[in-house]
Amino acid sequence: MANAGFYMLASVPVLLIATGLPAFMILILVATLFAAFGVLTGAMPYELLEALPQRIIGLLETDLLQALPLYVLMGALLNRLPLADILFRAFTALFARTAAAPLLAAVGLGAMLAPMNGSVGASVATLSRIVLPRLHAHRVSNTQGLAAVCVASTLGVVVPPSLVLILLGDAMLNAHTIAMNITGHITRAINTQDVFRGALPPAAIFLVLTAFLAWRIGRRASPAGTGVAPGERMKKHEWAIAAATLFFIVGLLAAVVAGYVYAVEAAAAGGMALLAIGLVSRTLTGKVLGQVLRDTMAVTGALFALFIGATTFTLVVRAFGTDQAIAGIIQRIPGGALGPVLAVMLLLWLCAFALDAFEIIFVVIPLVMPPLLTRVDDPVWVAVLALLALQSSFLLPPLGYAVMMARTLSPVRVDLHALVKALLPFLAAQLVVLGLTVAFPVLSHLALSAEPAAFSPKHPLTDREIEQRLQQQLPASPYSDH
Amino acid sequence: MRNFADRAVAAAIAAGQWLVLPVSFLLFAQWPLRDLVNAYSIQANDLAQWLFALYVSLALTFATRERAHLAADAFAQRYSAATRSRIARFGAFLCVAPWALFILVVSAPAVWQSVRGLENFPETYNPGYFIIKAAMWLLALLALAQAVLGVLRPAPPR
Repeated sequence: MANAGFYMLASVPVLLIATGLPAFMILILVATLFAAFGVLTGAMPYELLEALPQRIIGLLETDLLQALPLYVLMGALLNRLPLADILFRAFTALFARTAAAPLLAAVGLGAMLAPMNGSVGASVATLSRIVLPRLHAHRVSNTQGLAAVCVASTLGVVVPPSLVLILLGDAMLNAHTIAMNITGHITRAINTQDVFRGALPPAAIFLVLTAFLAWRIGRRASPAGTGVAPGERMKKHEWAIAAATLFFIVGLLAAVVAGYVYAVEAAAAGGMALLAIGLVSRTLTGKVLGQVLRDTMAVTGALFALFIGATTFTLVVRAFGTDQAIAGIIQRIPGGALGPVLAVMLLLWLCAFALDAFEIIFVVIPLVMPPLLTRVDDPVWVAVLALLALQSSFLLPPLGYAVMMARTLSPVRVDLHALVKALLPFLAAQLVVLGLTVAFPVLSHLALSAEPAAFSPKHPLTDREIEQRLQQQLPASPYSDH
Repeated sequence: MRNFADRAVAAAIAAGQWLVLPVSFLLFAQWPLRDLVNAYSIQANDLAQWLFALYVSLALTFATRERAHLAADAFAQRYSAATRSRIARFGAFLCVAPWALFILVVSAPAVWQSVRGLENFPETYNPGYFIIKAAMWLLALLALAQAVLGVLRPAPPR
């Protein structure tokens, strides 16, 4: 009956596209139908399904997930207060010597705000509202502008301490713990901080490549253009606000990456600081606060719905024993450590055509990472590769979340083929970074502190023994044991 | 009756929008409470925990009402408006209602026991853990109510 889980996985994208219904509803529908089938045919015990409410309670009491509404709140505040607008104009003024200033400012703003926003959706909303009209005023084409917004919005996936990094870090911790229990090769378990630091060098390379591409494209698009449009001159107090905001954001990001502050506390501090700035500058009116609260609750609800859908879905998939079948497949992939890594990354890419990063982290990562980490002894490298794959998933047309959302929010209709063409150089840059990280795993270790000593068993396990242990030890869910 | 239920759900959710502010404040406050005051940070965390659970239980249905859920509807946009409306109304009901009903029925005894006993947090013994379990039940109840309301709402004009 393990095949039933594969049918479940296959039917999700089909139903998603055919019905247009929200992803969390499709996950729940597929899980319900297959669970009913499983119970009626005796393939799974009914009692197993009774664990579902406890799993949902587990989601509600997970400390890490408290960061979610806080990041969303920060994103909503940045979206509704004039701070992002001031920052964009400050970046444009800084790069005023080149005609590529608006595109460079879009990338710069994305690099600053996307990690704070936490979710790509919030970043797309902010950048679409702030950047698109200004790029249009600078005579940047709608297609090129939309491509820049898409790319800038996904920077938060690889630039710490975004929500994607936090959630992936937690999923990897669970997977690594299981893998260590199975293989007996004991080392310090990967944590969120490792993922933050591991992602920094590839993120920096991608950022440089993206800035270079934006510079080239911007210069070619308007070679005689000017960096700063009339009416965009910065006033002195705006420079002060821009400098203070920049200092605050960089300081907060550095404190989280360095481990001085927990991500949840940093998000809460950021939200409080933005609220205070809004109140002091009198830009946070009652109306704006109402909009911020609405935005925050809507996005939080949408993201949490996905977690609940994924939790329900994975319970049923595991009840069919499909996780064990997947573990068996990964164990048999040839090619040493690289073979299964590339196969899993390819799987993440394929999943990305229909699922977004959060669904992948909650549905796919817990299924594929424990067996993968029994074959690969470098969880930080694997996590960084997964992040890079997930980042490209947001940018892959036509279903990439950033692409879909940016097109929806765009005031003018942008042809998909033209958008794909505009995105190609950036997708190529992502491939380059992905290729470099695959070829040189050391890239993901440059910013890490010294590795602690590892303990290996005297008699390493055979592949057969590892596979047997995987069948015995695969857990119910990363959030089930509360 | 439908309008009354709709307004009741909307009012409950609207009140919950403010909860994110105390959650943010408490989670921010636990940092100075832990490092400067050396006290009350655990209490702040537990309090934020059940406020967060309540907030999330309301947020899911709010996202449904605001049509904020993630969907890949590029292909479904080709359907007629009437077809899309039917899929949205009845599809949402078929997807959510059985699941929510299952959660409500299966978890009712444990949630009721927790609420009756005013269950404390298992590790810190601070009060309020029962609210997290009740929030899960509330989440399912609101999801079910919204699914039913969605079916009952008038069809759009042709």
